[in-house]
Amino acid sequence: MNNIFKFSFGIFSTLAVAWFAFVVGARKQFGDLSPTSSVLNEDGSIPEDSDLYPIAFSGAAQQGAEEYLSLGCATCHTQQVRLVEAGFDVERGWGKRPSVARDYILQNEVNIGNTRVGPDLANIGLREYSDEWLHQHLFEPQSLIEKSICPPNPFLYDIKDSNVSGALQIISEDNTTRFVKPGIKANRIVAYLQELRQDYELPEMSFVEEEEPVTSELVTIPTTSTKLPSWLSDQISSGKEIYTKVGPGGGGCVSCHQPTGLGQPGVFPPLVDSDWVLGDKERIIKISMHGLMGEIEVSGVKYNGVMIPPGVPPGSLTDQQIADVLTYIRNDWGNSGSAISPEEVAIVRDSVKDRGQMQMWTAAELNSDK
Amino acid sequence: MKITDEQVIDKSAKWVVSFFVASAGLWLLAAALLAYIAAAKLTDPFFLSSFEFFTYGKVKIAQANAFVYGWGGNSIFAISIWIIARLSQAEVRGRVLLLVAGFIWNIGITLGLLGILDGHMNSHEMLEMPKEIWPLLFISYAIITCLIIVLHRSRKYSDTIAPQWFILAAILWFPALFLIAWNGLEINPSPGTVQSVLSMWFGQNLIWLWLTPFALGVAYYIIPSIIGKPIDKYYLAIFGFWCIASLAPWSVVHHLEGGPVPMWIPAIGTVMSIAMIFPIAVASTNFHATAFKDIDKVWNSLPLRFVIFGTLSYTISSYIGVIFSLPAVAKLTQFSIINEFHFNQRVYGFFSMIVFGAVYYMLPKITGKEITIAAKTFHFWTSALGVMMLLLAYLIGGLTHGVLAQQPDLDWANSVIASIQPYFLITEISFIILGFSQLVFVINIWKVLVPNPFEDTGRSKKFASKASTV
Ligand code: HEC
Ligand code: HEC
Repeated sequence: MNNIFKFSFGIFSTLAVAWFAFVVGARKQFGDLSPTSSVLNEDGSIPEDSDLYPIAFSGAAQQGAEEYLSLGCATCHTQQVRLVEAGFDVERGWGKRPSVARDYILQNEVNIGNTRVGPDLANIGLREYSDEWLHQHLFEPQSLIEKSICPPNPFLYDIKDSNVSGALQIISEDNTTRFVKPGIKANRIVAYLQELRQDYELPEMSFVEEEEPVTSELVTIPTTSTKLPSWLSDQISSGKEIYTKVGPGGGGCVSCHQPTGLGQPGVFPPLVDSDWVLGDKERIIKISMHGLMGEIEVSGVKYNGVMIPPGVPPGSLTDQQIADVLTYIRNDWGNSGSAISPEEVAIVRDSVKDRGQMQMWTAAELNSDK
Repeated sequence: MKITDEQVIDKSAKWVVSFFVASAGLWLLAAALLAYIAAAKLTDPFFLSSFEFFTYGKVKIAQANAFVYGWGGNSIFAISIWIIARLSQAEVRGRVLLLVAGFIWNIGITLGLLGILDGHMNSHEMLEMPKEIWPLLFISYAIITCLIIVLHRSRKYSDTIAPQWFILAAILWFPALFLIAWNGLEINPSPGTVQSVLSMWFGQNLIWLWLTPFALGVAYYIIPSIIGKPIDKYYLAIFGFWCIASLAPWSVVHHLEGGPVPMWIPAIGTVMSIAMIFPIAVASTNFHATAFKDIDKVWNSLPLRFVIFGTLSYTISSYIGVIFSLPAVAKLTQFSIINEFHFNQRVYGFFSMIVFGAVYYMLPKITGKEITIAAKTFHFWTSALGVMMLLLAYLIGGLTHGVLAQQPDLDWANSVIASIQPYFLITEISFIILGFSQLVFVINIWKVLVPNPFEDTGRSKKFASKASTV
């Protein structure tokens, strides 16, 4: 502590570790995302002649994004639809599906924001407002929504006494009529707002079906379940819940391995048809307790990622939860494997009870243990 | 009268410290004015609405920057220079260079804020001042940092103590954070939302690794100095220090739950935020066990009263912060105005209160002039009241906002926002009270720093006699 150089070295290294994890980690995971088609071929390639998403902004919208930024709209408006588990953004009609990182890769200024005094604007272009409505709202929101605290921007418009071409007629609360002609900045902002739309599906995120919320999808498993004993279908449906739930009590597997169980090409290995999932039970029980890192080969493809111990806080899944989620992944998406019981998990847990909570397994270690 | 070593040191610091304290005071007033304008705009959106210069977003962001870099930066320089000089028992050197660098820093911020208001805002949290300004700020900061390190290295005793660790770490962390963020945002811009992760990481760390450790260091210095007893359980301080150093950089990104960023980021953030209980407990044991041995002194010495208000609010609000990072609660309050609660409790309730105390403790020693007790007391009570009102309004308003926003059937403008309108009004009133209180503070310190032309009897008599002869 007494030598300033050693001291600096100490305090910088603690910072560097966190930086490395967050920034370098995030960049590695998302850094090379590129536009892609809504559906991929079996082998993960993009089908020929398909449209690629997201689409870049037009020139005017790009400039509008800069105006939006410089007026400080992002202090009150977010542009991100959260996952269904994290909030009611989709129910509120703020988007057809949660936003994902790929939606933003072509934007120079990412205005995802962190405070919602106003509604989320990630999909304002989908709400079918006319240009006139958006102009009037930009000019004076209170002329449309009486109690709005969205700030008026009269300085973006030329206010005229009489109707000139290209002007909008605005009738305020107190029945005064004004004619306003949008300036160039106002036109750019409206162009930008109209292009804010996440109206395409991506391989990692499809639209949320309104008629069929997630729970009713459970009914689709039971094609086989008519024959299943009730304890098994209970275990499978509880497992599905753990698989999809992000947060305490859930495993959050869905965020990496995806609802389809197909993972993400090159980053997260698939669970569908994986000989890890369908093979030796001990290995996947261990993975579910402590996580996995290092090189692993799944269905002939090599991955090298990190799966932190699942659960919130990490590594907190109980024997019952692990048994349920593993039984589930062994029996959905066309997989078919035997169930795993909590007792089996308890035995494995006991055999590795000296292992550190955050000490992740490697594939080599798991294979050699046998 | 014999001149002690300490007086020599204080004298060597006089001009530099006075300059920084005086500038800090002016920035505080600028920030108070901007805070009021922003708050007023939320209660009446037509307030100043015809000026492009003063849109809500610009004013709000200019306020945060004026507060953190103007008031925060200048007071960090002033107090660190003095405390490090005192603890090193060495005279401040490179004074002209310090003044020049300080001048550049303040010019830089002025230009930066004008840039924001003029529509050249940058999109990254706490880096909103235009890009061109940052090299200027960075260089001036680097000069000041180097001179503080030189001062520290010229110390008489090689052993260092808690205030030195915390203050030096704070001073050194800022440029490191800045370079990391600048590299990832401007030099090799990260794609898409990775930018957002990085800029949030920077913005939060600025508070956790710059303002916070500095204020803790000052508390570690001032509490034992005034109480006249060593810190209770001092051996814990080093543990607390390394806990902050290793946990804080991780615990800051839990506002991203459910967003378009890698899932594991908010998950790790949550776990680490909960672990922050340890350093908070250490700091509060150290401070409060020491201070409450002599409760009379806490009450009677105004500098100490300010500092203890700050450390108490640090403890309480940090625990509240831990609760709000639990996923079940975070989900509710994620995008609500509770964010304002977190920001204001750190910068007003904790950082500023400690700085007020430190300035009141330091100025009389440096200038040899006392500040009237009534003025300080008025400042204390108005600040305390204003801060509490502000924080309560944001806390309760934030919870209401969060809970209502989670009900998809409620109309946004007419139900959700309408029900938090009353809280916006309370914050507006609080900012008026705080504005007054800060005006008193600035008058208090300027009276001490700038000689009053009418008070100096010797010279004014001469002047009067001259005038009469004419
Ligand atoms: C003080 C916070 C605040 C700021 C700053 C702000 N807004 Fe708003 N905004 C709101 C509120 C509250 C609403 C909801 C009431 C309404 O629709 O007017 C809203 C609504 C909107 C809507 C309508 C959304 C819908 O789905 O009906 C649009 C479009 C909009 N704002 C655009 C902007 C733009 C562009 C800017 C920047 C010039 C901006 N806002 C700045 C608070 C704000
Ligand atoms: C943080 C993202 C993440 C989460 C959450 C996650 N995994 Fe994984 N998983 C990975 C990665 C990355 C690998 C590959 C690790 C490697 O390369 O060593 C992997 C590998 C696996 C494997 C072995 C390889 C295969 O595809 O068959 C199984 C089984 C598995 N995970 C199951 C689960 C289960 C069950 C859950 C939820 C309880 C889960 N994972 C949650 C990222 C994750």
